[in-house]
Amino acid sequence: MTDELRQAMAALGAGAPHASSTNPGATSDLSIDEALLLHSIGWEPVDLVFGVGWWSIPWGAFQTWQAGEVTAASDAFGGAMREASEQLRHESARAGGAGVVGVEIDISVHSHHVDVTLTGTAVRRIGEKPSGDEFLSDLSARDFSLLIRAGWMPRGLVAGASFVIAPRRSARQWAAQKGQNVELPNLTEALYLARERAMDSMQQMGLGLHADGVVNVKLREGPLGHNPRIIQFVAVGTAVKLADSGHRSVEPMMVVPLDDPVLAFEAASLRAKPGS
Amino acid sequence: MPPSDLPEAATERLGHGAWSSALSVPDFASTLALGLEPVGFVQGYCVMQWSWYQQGTTAPFLGGYGQPVANAGSYSEVYRCPHGMVSAEHRTFGYNWEQDWLETSWAQGWGLAYQRMMEEAEASGAHGVIGVLDAAAPLAGSSTIEYSIRGTAVVVPDSPRPSRIFSTFLSGARLAKLIEAGYTPVSVVAAMSSVQMIGYCITRYQMSGQANMGWLGSVAGVSSIAQVGKAQSAARHLARAKVRAQLGSDSLHGAHLDQSTREFGEGDMAIQCVIKGTRVRRFKDFNPLPHPTTVVPLR
Amino acid sequence: MADEEIGETEVATDEEAAHPFFEGAQLPPDAARRLAELEDRPGHKGMFTSDLSVNEFLLIKEVGFHPVGFVMGSSIYHLGIQTRRWSQSQELAKLTEAMYNARELAMNRMDAEALELGADGVVGVRLDVNYYEWGSDTAEFIAVGTAVKAEDGKSYRNNQGKPFTSDLSGQDFWTLLQTGHVPLGLVMGTCVYHIAHRSLGQTVRSAGQNIELPNFTQALYEARELAMTRMQDEANELGATGIVGVRLEEKTHMWGDHTIEFLSLGTAVVKTEGEHQIPVPQTIISLDG
Repeated sequence: MTDELRQAMAALGAGAPHASSTNPGATSDLSIDEALLLHSIGWEPVDLVFGVGWWSIPWGAFQTWQAGEVTAASDAFGGAMREASEQLRHESARAGGAGVVGVEIDISVHSHHVDVTLTGTAVRRIGEKPSGDEFLSDLSARDFSLLIRAGWMPRGLVAGASFVIAPRRSARQWAAQKGQNVELPNLTEALYLARERAMDSMQQMGLGLHADGVVNVKLREGPLGHNPRIIQFVAVGTAVKLADSGHRSVEPMMVVPLDDPVLAFEAASLRAKPGS
Repeated sequence: MPPSDLPEAATERLGHGAWSSALSVPDFASTLALGLEPVGFVQGYCVMQWSWYQQGTTAPFLGGYGQPVANAGSYSEVYRCPHGMVSAEHRTFGYNWEQDWLETSWAQGWGLAYQRMMEEAEASGAHGVIGVLDAAAPLAGSSTIEYSIRGTAVVVPDSPRPSRIFSTFLSGARLAKLIEAGYTPVSVVAAMSSVQMIGYCITRYQMSGQANMGWLGSVAGVSSIAQVGKAQSAARHLARAKVRAQLGSDSLHGAHLDQSTREFGEGDMAIQCVIKGTRVRRFKDFNPLPHPTTVVPLR
Repeated sequence: MADEEIGETEVATDEEAAHPFFEGAQLPPDAARRLAELEDRPGHKGMFTSDLSVNEFLLIKEVGFHPVGFVMGSSIYHLGIQTRRWSQSQELAKLTEAMYNARELAMNRMDAEALELGADGVVGVRLDVNYYEWGSDTAEFIAVGTAVKAEDGKSYRNNQGKPFTSDLSGQDFWTLLQTGHVPLGLVMGTCVYHIAHRSLGQTVRSAGQNIELPNFTQALYEARELAMTRMQDEANELGATGIVGVRLEEKTHMWGDHTIEFLSLGTAVVKTEGEHQIPVPQTIISLDG
């Protein structure tokens, strides 16, 4: 190790990198672990890439008393996601990448606009000129390398969203249900359908990419910040496809780890409870 | 040794006694295993005045209404309204421009703090600084920002000092792996970009959801807000270009992007991006990593 | 703005220091009773208590130590306000001293509990400050940790005859010993500093120019260097070769924006005899998330 360290120190004086460097000027947000893992499967990072999409939602889409799904909002979401993804693919291609891994997805929905920002690292097989058809994936470089080892390939980011305005209960319904523990079937149905629709538009995107499946689906749901009567469902995942070579086992080994997460400490926890 | 403006207390502290290191114990252990020895905790600070508005510019439209913004940086765009004169409040022109005087101020504050930390490291005879942490935060009141940079100075025993000492955000096992993989850390790099956007009528209508209301005609239903998208992308591209300009033919490792958007008024915003990372240089062939063993922890 | 004295002059005091309850190095009777229950005596089977996790417990056993008990110390301090000049940056020496003494007292009382158990050291020490609604300007300084004893019968106490203290977790303790270092004590240095307010004239003159304010830079820089130096002096007194895990914390407590405590903390260590080789770790990927 010390030999390498001395070599490294000597290189500080040299003006240029070693001749074996295949991608001078590369910029990546990968950790060294991720860079090593990527290299272990024969890949390398090329550039930090971005995609941004801001789409407007017409007035009146959310500003209504009527219950039900707000299709203008899911359309705007779809548009912003598509625009940001296209930019990301475009930037990856320009940097000479075969695709983008570790895409960080930032979605925010406001009264009149939806914005989507995608940030990731373009990667390629070492020294290889890519052939086009860039893939996108929100899997970390670590997950990406495991997936490749197992014989799978990411195809693209898939996402779907739906926004529902919760129905109001009439005064009579309210009076009848007050103090009772009953199901609110209107609400149940509205949310159920919205969830199905978000998942379905995600699935449609995956099918469009000729994927074999979607992994790492994350479902974000809950009331929107600016209006608690609006409930959002956003599903995002990575579509994957099995390579021609078929699935290979990664042969896991069982271990017992001895490390703990660091525990936070509050002096207040030592204080006696009131009354004791 | 370069001329130094370190406080007296710093020169005193670095002079003698036990070394100190901000490394965690695991990092400390792998730093030792790598063959580096800590010599001291080093730090640099710089407090800068901070204001969003440049002296002497009450309005950005010095070049005249509808002209590109005066003293903008390399990025500047003008958006022209398709409607003609509608009313006095109607925004006939929109502007996107790079605020390079803010970028310069940021680079100066960060740069001075960094330089001071490196001077402390030089003074302690170090080969480099590892585990660098940086921060920029308002200090006791809003019109100042303090830039602070800290790290642990290290030496490589029995090795000549490089002509320029190195610095890196990495420490411990990560640093060891970087070197083992054939990269030497050169320096930490950081750049800030600032883009201001004054929305024109279409952007303002889109941001307030009125793009499909009647007389406009040109935009209906959901639509892409092009001006904001361009401003947001430009800020990121500018920051990326600025860090890349500091790389030479080396690479940037472990880049980290921080973005913040400040909206002031309907359809107007200021976007700030900071990208930082460690500039690394390949010094030997990549040592291929054996396939890592996959494990399932039993918890 | 003219120089104007803000705040009242009060000296910080330890309200308990002169109390018979704490005379000498005696422990409070309840604490002594609790600790006595933990010890093995003829006719009484002791046991240990600790806030260690199972993983930490096993790792501490791995390096030849046995936990003997959960120990703590506390000190309730009255922190007054020292005279500050509106437009001057300066150290508030009395407050610095008070903050230092309060922590020192809490640590000493924790040490006394550990000594009572015959411990060689205390691991996982955490220092905290607690404010209570009932006491204005009062703060409770707390130190807690797990006392440990070497199983080989050798003494690991430091050159002041006290058990070593360290804020290292069980994992960190294990790792440190693998590198051939042993902890000597938790060392700290503090500096309470008042940052000058800027006069209206100054603010107006420099408005719109984003320039460095060298006086501010210098003042804060110096405050942090002082805190670091004091910590380092403590380590030198213990005969340490170094300090690991140094943290520099900044706290405003209850003094407002312009008065800041800079606290630096770390574990002083000394290198033991003999060569230590850390085995090359194996690369693994965990599949649990």
